[in-house]
Amino acid sequence: MSVKVLLVDDEELIRAGLRAIIDAEPDLEVVGEADDGADVLPLVTRLAPDVVLMDVRMPAVDGIQATRHLIDRVAEPPKIIVVTTFENDDYVYDALRAGANGFLLKRARPAEIVRAVRVVVAGDSLLFPDKIRLLAGQRGLEPGRSGLREAGLTDREAEVLRLMATGLSNVEISDRLFVSVQTVKTHVGNVLSKLHARDRTQAVITAYESGFVTPS
Amino acid sequence: MAGVIRAVFGPVGRRLTYRRWTYFVLGATLIVPFALAGFAIVPPVLGMLLPTDTAEQPLVVAVTMALAIVVWAAGTSFIPAVRVVEGTAARELLGPGVPAQASLRATNLEARWKTCQWFLVHIVVGAVVGGCTLFVPIGMLQSFLAPFTGEWLIVQNTPVRVPVGWQSAWIPAVSVVVTVLLVHLVNLAGVGMTKLSQVLLGPTPADHLAELTRRAEQLAERNRLARELHDSVGHALSVVTIQASAAGRVLDADPRFAKRALSAIEESARGALADLDHVLGLLREDQPGTQPQHTLADLEQLLETMRLSGVAVETRITGDLAGVPFAVSTEAYRIVQECLTNALKHAGRVEGAVTVTLSLAASPEALRVEAANPLTGRPPTGRGGRGIPGMRERVAVLRGQIEAGPDDGTWRVRARIPL
Repeated sequence: MSVKVLLVDDEELIRAGLRAIIDAEPDLEVVGEADDGADVLPLVTRLAPDVVLMDVRMPAVDGIQATRHLIDRVAEPPKIIVVTTFENDDYVYDALRAGANGFLLKRARPAEIVRAVRVVVAGDSLLFPDKIRLLAGQRGLEPGRSGLREAGLTDREAEVLRLMATGLSNVEISDRLFVSVQTVKTHVGNVLSKLHARDRTQAVITAYESGFVTPS
Repeated sequence: MAGVIRAVFGPVGRRLTYRRWTYFVLGATLIVPFALAGFAIVPPVLGMLLPTDTAEQPLVVAVTMALAIVVWAAGTSFIPAVRVVEGTAARELLGPGVPAQASLRATNLEARWKTCQWFLVHIVVGAVVGGCTLFVPIGMLQSFLAPFTGEWLIVQNTPVRVPVGWQSAWIPAVSVVVTVLLVHLVNLAGVGMTKLSQVLLGPTPADHLAELTRRAEQLAERNRLARELHDSVGHALSVVTIQASAAGRVLDADPRFAKRALSAIEESARGALADLDHVLGLLREDQPGTQPQHTLADLEQLLETMRLSGVAVETRITGDLAGVPFAVSTEAYRIVQECLTNALKHAGRVEGAVTVTLSLAASPEALRVEAANPLTGRPPTGRGGRGIPGMRERVAVLRGQIEAGPDDGTWRVRARIPL
């Protein structure tokens, strides 16, 4: 059962390139293409892709709005990877806050592109932790940061969140803490629900913004 | 003790003191022409206007002369170049506290008034310091001989008589003290003037506003260029990267895709180069000039000036000139200006006006500028086309073409700049 990918980009040549790269992988398959954010919702409903590769700037509905629509209106939304030309693009961070699971540069190597798709599908580690840290650092902290005190994380959960922010996968965290992977998964689940986060990316962004983890 | 010596003699040994002194002596020399004019003009004019006994009263003469000097000097200070010279001299001679704005032209009324005040303070303080400079150091030198010769302060061969011998020993001592005091006076006046310069020669609110506007414009322009690079070159290179990656991956499996990818890469790269060329052209165009840049929006004004100078201009304008991009618009303006100026040079040699036919046509693809004027019979002396190499270079940057030369009794300039 291969991973189904939907491509959203207003440039046909970009879609064609991504399609060739992804379709060359035996376990990945491009099931559809859209040239604007406006077409994403019906296609997702019809094709039920596992991953959406989403361009940020598009003529009618941009990638951020389209991401919000998917999160709000689809019961089990697909994983969303925002695809961008420049990493210091303000929109990237906005898209991550809107609920995207990760982002990818258009200049990424083919191996990175397919790895990104696999990482967000597995959901057990963070995509490009260093770049998320950089982006969070550029944004600065939310005013009135509380360091997540009100979230009521246990010491272990706080430790797991810090390790998540560095980009470690569940297996790596379990090695680090000398506990089973299942225990780590439980901790991660607790962290996500206490922070009201959809996934690791959201949780880590919340951790940065609250000052719980410092970007520098 | 050392502190006291430094306080007393410090300014004497400092170079800055003498630079400040020079500035004041400069002020003294600047007042001289006004003073001479006062001496020459005020007494006869007073004699004409007032009864003789009133006109010759020293107080009346002195006050009128002082007023005349101040009024003339104040008037002179409104000449823009005077501000530049005064401010530059102040910056070079008074020390680092003088604001950079001082050597720039005054562009608003407040700055002009303040320049006027500065000029008056400079020449008045300069006159005082200059007067002291004439007498005090010479007086000091003569004071060393006074106890021996009995003569001091020799002005026009009539000295002050002093007793010979030890009774006059105080004279050199006092003279040295007075001279050191003068040095301190000059130094303090310099400090005061430097402080004053921040008030009178610094940027006025209008200058601050103009500077802010300029910066905002620069910033907007930079953002525009960044956006242009992002949208054009960034986008094209993304396509190139992804297509090349994909082609590499499927080269064996799908050679037809690889072939299509190669031509897409070629097209994108070519387009990116053209866009880069355009943006770099804009960057070159944006190098700060010494004059505000005119665009085709100022065309009407230029034509009016030329008409007044004796060039009859027949214009034919088609298309929307206001929609022409800034870089192209400024260049087109320069071309028109150059053509009309050249025609004007020819007009000087013949009877009556010269007629220039000017046509400007803006289409979505390009702006065309064409100017033609009849040759006067005399061959061009070589000065006629002085600006043409420059025009050709700048038009080339904008990816346009320009040709200029004689054509069947007519001097014709034709330019086409793509939009």
